[in-house]
Amino acid sequence: MNFVLIFLIVIFSSSLFFYGKSKTKSISIERNIKLNALPKFYGYYLVLWSSIPALVFLLVWSLFEPVIIKSIIIETAANQGAIFNDKNEANLIYEKIKAIHLGTYFGDIDTILKESAISYSKFLNIFTNSKIVLIFVTIIASVIFSLKKIKNNNKAREDVEKILKGLLFVSSLIAILTTLGIIFSLLFESIKFFSVINIFDYLFGTNWSPQRAFIRDASAITAAEYDELRDAFGFVPLIAGTSFIAFIAMFVAVPIGLFSGIYMAEYASYKIRRISKPIIEILAGIPTVVYGFFAALTVGPFFRQIGESIGLTVSSESALAAGLIMGIMIIPYISSLSDDVINSVPQSLRDGSYAVGATKSETIKQVVIPAALPGIIGSVLLAVSRAIGETMIVVMAAGLAANLTINPLESTTTITTQIVMILVGDQEFDSPKTQSAFALGLTLFVATLILNYIAQRAVKKYREKYD
Amino acid sequence: MSEAKIKSNNLNVFYGDKQALFDVNLDLNEKEVTALIGPSGCGKSTFIRCINRMNDVIDICKVTGNIEIDGVEINDENLDVVSLRERVGMVFQKPNPFPKSIYDNISYGPKIHGKGETKSELDEIVERSLKKAALWEEVKDRLDEPGTGLSGGQQQRLCIARAISVNPEVILMDEPCSALDPIATAKIEELIDELKKTYTIVIVTHSMAQAVRVSQKTGFFHLGKLIEVGKTEKIFKNPDNKMTQDYITGRFG
Repeated sequence: MNFVLIFLIVIFSSSLFFYGKSKTKSISIERNIKLNALPKFYGYYLVLWSSIPALVFLLVWSLFEPVIIKSIIIETAANQGAIFNDKNEANLIYEKIKAIHLGTYFGDIDTILKESAISYSKFLNIFTNSKIVLIFVTIIASVIFSLKKIKNNNKAREDVEKILKGLLFVSSLIAILTTLGIIFSLLFESIKFFSVINIFDYLFGTNWSPQRAFIRDASAITAAEYDELRDAFGFVPLIAGTSFIAFIAMFVAVPIGLFSGIYMAEYASYKIRRISKPIIEILAGIPTVVYGFFAALTVGPFFRQIGESIGLTVSSESALAAGLIMGIMIIPYISSLSDDVINSVPQSLRDGSYAVGATKSETIKQVVIPAALPGIIGSVLLAVSRAIGETMIVVMAAGLAANLTINPLESTTTITTQIVMILVGDQEFDSPKTQSAFALGLTLFVATLILNYIAQRAVKKYREKYD
Repeated sequence: MSEAKIKSNNLNVFYGDKQALFDVNLDLNEKEVTALIGPSGCGKSTFIRCINRMNDVIDICKVTGNIEIDGVEINDENLDVVSLRERVGMVFQKPNPFPKSIYDNISYGPKIHGKGETKSELDEIVERSLKKAALWEEVKDRLDEPGTGLSGGQQQRLCIARAISVNPEVILMDEPCSALDPIATAKIEELIDELKKTYTIVIVTHSMAQAVRVSQKTGFFHLGKLIEVGKTEKIFKNPDNKMTQDYITGRFG
């Protein structure tokens, strides 16, 4: 229904473009005046004025309609003798009434429900009809308003610019509000978690076994149970595992990525560059789940075999396999970012170095890399924040047990893996186990935020130097 | 009249399909300043970049013909470019100090060529070079500050100091004052006058007044050809070629 309405509004107002254009032309001829803007701006003006108020009205209506109908229906049901003790029961009855209306309810239907369902469909009808009428009125009113403005030869160009500016502002507002919404939802759930588990127990505990709190209502935890849970949510093994795998990944990705970036920027001919750059960037396009099963099914067992042949015990899900594959995944980020940074080091610096007799590698090592260093550090930090946020590879290849270890051949786990493990399957949302996922998410978010901030500062500092 | 230090013989330069220099024959005298003048894109810079083989950096550039320094052919594939550039320093149009300290900017060249093994030797080279570039008094107390923090004129003198730090025989200057104000320019010109006692200098310039002030010999290039070359005085007072006459009187260019 709403989609049909939106479609009709858009079609109608688009067609007004031509009307507005020709109308203003004829006005200017009739009255022999100079228009304040090109005729097409009057067209745009009419289009925007005829569509936006109606669409905004529709949006607001659609937001409030269900709420209003719900409160009316619950009230009528209560008047007819329906009994409910709290909000949840009221909601349940409302859902039942809706289901009867849609014909998808298969329980017993008593008279109260039946009557309510009839009044539900009645109200729905009234609301829909009045919605259509009001939208119609809105469109007519706004079109008349804008036509009057056009007849007075208003400054359509400025007005259109203002409206467009407003539209763009609203778009960016939506993005910002979404971010804020995510942060707050993380924050609220985390606060619930930290009201049960002390934040210091969480940050400095060395034992992570959240399954001990499986399906236990947070509000009903006794003192004895709390003591037992105190050391179940230690964050240290997770951050250790995450950093360890990220470290292995960077150990692989930084040298290879940086060297290939240097090769691309300084040595590769145009032809080689044109072919090999996209090929390296394909690595960035491989879905991480593919990397994940490559790590879990090929690389992990391969390491185990090698380990066995030289007498080492290697877990088939090892930090080494996960870190190595993650490193390969990150190579293109470092390589292409450092390639860009090195390219933006001015040629005049290289010339200055060559002119005193330095060779190419001396120039790169002593002039180009130091000049590009802040940018390179920035790209590495961005890669680190990607590594610690990466999920699929570690879920598949790193293991689930929260071992506090620095042996790369043992299995270890990461923050992201644990979040996945906590949230898959049926969950009780009051349990500290489930809420701990939000605390982990918040911690991860803060960590990557700090890294990104530092990285961007580094890159910016670098830019200021040469622009 | 001093000896010809550098001799070019039928020098041609191509950038891809485009020929930038046509059969240039030009002799540059030792311990003298030679100015190269001419309209933009006439090949002056291309010519001096042949003397220290800076054109090697450009992939599509091809050089044919001969250039000799002290009778040794330098346009030779087997020539060691590193030691050539040790002998032929260069100063660029835009000051291009490295984003390092003033000290490191100067010590960079000597370190690369293995000169100045000890710290005190390096200190001495840095001091001598900065003194020669008339910058020592201004920066002696802040040698560890970044070279990019100096003013434009100071930066250019720092680049000159960098060029003389490896003790070259020839200094090439590619419009060294075009990015500087008149006062900084005057300082650089004074410096050039001083430097010509020790070095053979080739300067590309767009300012005819500058050519008159600093040079003993002037070459006029047009469209990749050396039109006329001679004593600066003669070129500017009484040129043989009509085109030179037109250029120096500002009728084109």
